[in-house]
Amino acid sequence: MAERLDVKQGTLALMILTTLEVLGPLHGYGIARRIEETSKNRLTLNYGTLYPALLKLEQEGFVTAEWRQSENNRRAKYYALTAAGRKQLAREARDWHRTADLIAAFLAPRREAP
Amino acid sequence: MRYVRAALARLAGVFTGHRADDDLRDELQSHLDMETAENIRRGMHPDEARRQALLASGGLTQAAEAVRDQRGLPWLESVAADIRYALRALRHGPAFTTVVVITLALGIGANTAIFSVVRGVLLKPLPHRDGDRLVYLRQSTDGPGGANLTFSVPEVRDLRNGVPSLAGIAEYSPWTAIHQSNDGAERIGVGLVTGNYFEVMGLSAVLGRVTRPGDDGPGVPPVAVLTHDYWRKRFGGDSGIVGKQVTLDKKSVTVIGVLQPAPFFPDRIDALLNMVNSDHHLSAMMVEGRTHRMTEVVARLAPGATVDQVRNEVAVVYARMQGDFKEVYDPASHYRVAVIPFKEALGERARLTLWLLMGAAALVMIISAASVANLTLMRGVRREHELVVRAALGAGVARLRRLLLLENLVLAVMGAVLGVLIAIAGVELLTSLAERYSPRANEIRLDVVVLGFTLALAVTVALLLSFLASLPREGTFASRIAAGVWRMSGSLRRQRLQRGLVVAQIAVSVVLLAGAGLLTRTMIRLSQVTTGLRSEEVLTMQVPLLTPTELLFNPAADAAAKQRYEEMRREIAALPGVIEVGVGSPMPLRRSDVVFEVKAEGRPLAAGEAMPRAELRTANPDFFGAAGIPLLTGRPFATTDGPGSGNVVIINRTLADKLFPNEDPVGKRIAWTGDVLRFTPISGDWRTIVGVAGNTQDGGLDAEPRPVVFMPFAQMLAMGGGLAIRADSNVAALAATATRIIRRMAPTAPIENVMTIAQYKDRSVSPRRLNAALISSFGVLAVIIAAVGIAGVLAFSVSARTNEIGIRMSLGADSGRVQRMILKEGGVLLAIGLVLGVAGAFLAASVIQGLLFGVAPHDPITFTGVAVMMAAIGIGACWIPALRAARIDPAITMRF
Repeated sequence: MAERLDVKQGTLALMILTTLEVLGPLHGYGIARRIEETSKNRLTLNYGTLYPALLKLEQEGFVTAEWRQSENNRRAKYYALTAAGRKQLAREARDWHRTADLIAAFLAPRREAP
Repeated sequence: MRYVRAALARLAGVFTGHRADDDLRDELQSHLDMETAENIRRGMHPDEARRQALLASGGLTQAAEAVRDQRGLPWLESVAADIRYALRALRHGPAFTTVVVITLALGIGANTAIFSVVRGVLLKPLPHRDGDRLVYLRQSTDGPGGANLTFSVPEVRDLRNGVPSLAGIAEYSPWTAIHQSNDGAERIGVGLVTGNYFEVMGLSAVLGRVTRPGDDGPGVPPVAVLTHDYWRKRFGGDSGIVGKQVTLDKKSVTVIGVLQPAPFFPDRIDALLNMVNSDHHLSAMMVEGRTHRMTEVVARLAPGATVDQVRNEVAVVYARMQGDFKEVYDPASHYRVAVIPFKEALGERARLTLWLLMGAAALVMIISAASVANLTLMRGVRREHELVVRAALGAGVARLRRLLLLENLVLAVMGAVLGVLIAIAGVELLTSLAERYSPRANEIRLDVVVLGFTLALAVTVALLLSFLASLPREGTFASRIAAGVWRMSGSLRRQRLQRGLVVAQIAVSVVLLAGAGLLTRTMIRLSQVTTGLRSEEVLTMQVPLLTPTELLFNPAADAAAKQRYEEMRREIAALPGVIEVGVGSPMPLRRSDVVFEVKAEGRPLAAGEAMPRAELRTANPDFFGAAGIPLLTGRPFATTDGPGSGNVVIINRTLADKLFPNEDPVGKRIAWTGDVLRFTPISGDWRTIVGVAGNTQDGGLDAEPRPVVFMPFAQMLAMGGGLAIRADSNVAALAATATRIIRRMAPTAPIENVMTIAQYKDRSVSPRRLNAALISSFGVLAVIIAAVGIAGVLAFSVSARTNEIGIRMSLGADSGRVQRMILKEGGVLLAIGLVLGVAGAFLAASVIQGLLFGVAPHDPITFTGVAVMMAAIGIGACWIPALRAARIDPAITMRF
């Protein structure tokens, strides 16, 4: 079994926002499945991590939530990206790329001395 | 924006928790259902599918808790929960809550009320601009009338030129004027001021303007600035007052402004006038006479200067003045000048009394806090079990501590609210007390600062109470639960603490009681002082007919006034029941401010002996009989001692003993003397002594009698004349008739202080009585709280030791022995408390020495009485729990 990782707060918000942008409005279960699949099951999301993060995004106005019928006729609470959420996603993604590049540059193997 | 929005959402979450909880449960359930369904679809058995889904969830309850924390403000919510819990707990113990709240309210109320007075009278910054830069200068000498000589114009000039640390000197000459209005006449206090006065004092007008240098000197219109109080009192705050005319001393004066509210010293002032209002103040003798002292001095420190610098510079200037004018400053009389911060001068009469009350209130606070602490400790023992259970269910020590703190805060705040209500009622009473001691009494308010003090007091008490309770240390809960029992006796530390608190309560009660005892005895001694008068049932009143200017410069008006007094005397003497009516000034038991140096014929001063000084009083032939002043030898004045006949005087015993020790003074001659006579119409001629009067307590009941010279009313100016009326029965009933007669004969004259000598005496004792009553009520309060305290602790000890006592009794101890055991336990506490209390009271008594009269600060009667009383009450309080212990039935107690 691959090593399991805990999700870092902050990155989780980014993952949720990305998921909603790609898949459109989705319920908590769907979001969790998608994130676990995308991470090839290296990440596990228990409810106590996922739902506070969703609530926080809702409080910040980046997502909205409403109850709807799911495809197999269950009632579920669907989360959808707002315009502000889209902007926030763009901003966070950009910041994340920059940070990742920077860290990658630091961690790159040193060049041999000439 | 984002944070604000999130914060608002969370705040809203605090209040919408219940609805959101249902929503969350549904959501988590739907998640679980979907996951289970997915697992089934993958081929799991439904039970296994559900189990796996639950495992993956990480716990629904934990998830719900995590979401809840994100939803609201967890800190706020748990505080709210704790407060709700605290209120519920307090409601469940109504007796405890009531006793604690009332005890705290008494302590906090007393402190709030007295602090508001201390702040208003002593601490609050003065209303004057930069009021802390003002200093009051006081010139004084030894001997009667020397406490405050005031300054003469040449002396002020020397100070002005010689003290660079003073930026400005404000002079004001206290004076009285008769204010004539449509409602009648009244004598008011006025200050004659120079044009720079208001600038130096840092006072401005709320209406119109204040005087300025252009209002100085002769030939300007007379103007008046009303003080705020007088404007409100006499003119009802009339905003159109500026520019109106008022009649002062029979002259028309223009009101140019109303001053901001401000205290005056040493006497109340109703209006401030420019110098042209008094001919006397512009005269050459006023301006040139070094001994002609009529001016009070308040000065402003120069920027950067200190009071000590001023003191040094004043000392240098004053030494030079004394060197230059040796005849004016008699070295034996010890002339000196004190420089006092103005704020301190304003508070000097009130300071000792107020700090005494503040100290007493602080002691009451200590007692009530100690008592509440004890109650809390006892309650804490009963709650120990509950706290352990709460801890076991997950409350950390910090949370428990916070819970206790909140409970105590709720109690303290309830006590504070009730205390403020008590204070509101008390402040009015205290203000009437403060009015007798301080010109700042009308600044007493329950303002924000005072309420802040109250709140700080309440919070401090709550904090102390919360940290008294010992909480189990983290990690020891399990063992306590496992033990399954808790010991009612509590820890040794707690027992020691409780006993210490009881000892403190008793000690503090003894201090308060001793203070109350000393002050009460002082008050009783004062009212027992023999006034020296034959009777106190004499009606007196003052009827000033002349203005100061008329008195000094208008012999015709003076003669007419004497004639008028004689007519009044005759008419009132003819009333039925009246035995005798005397005319004179001032009335008995009142000090005369007219004090001069006096010499006896053929008796040179010993080397270094200060020139004797005596009060000048006037009396007509009937005055001694009517006022009840006893004549020891010689004769009273006769109608033949008129303006044209030989100068005669009657002296009092104090002066006789001083000038003529072991001799009969009758027939000897004395004369007024001193440079200051030049400024008065009084001659330095020899006057023959025709009689010696007994001493009367004119300087106050607690003062040594002062030397007095009586002059015949007819041979002296008719200064501030008054009437003394003796009747064969209820003399007070004559007041209305006499007043009516005088009003008819002198419609424009004020009629002042219409009261019997007994009433006047009572009035002079009343502030002390109020003082003693306040301290006594504090003392009684303290004793009650302490008695309840000691009984409570013993009762608690008895109930904690029920088992032990049962064992003792079954082993043969009889009930008497058990009773003695408990009594001994209380007796030890009582004894320690008494010893500490008496020691403390000894220290406290030396502090309040200045307020005592006729009783030594370490008066053995008071101290013994207090100790015996406290011991008796204490033993009585111990008796109740001791009896209860003695009735314990071993058969019942041993079963448990």
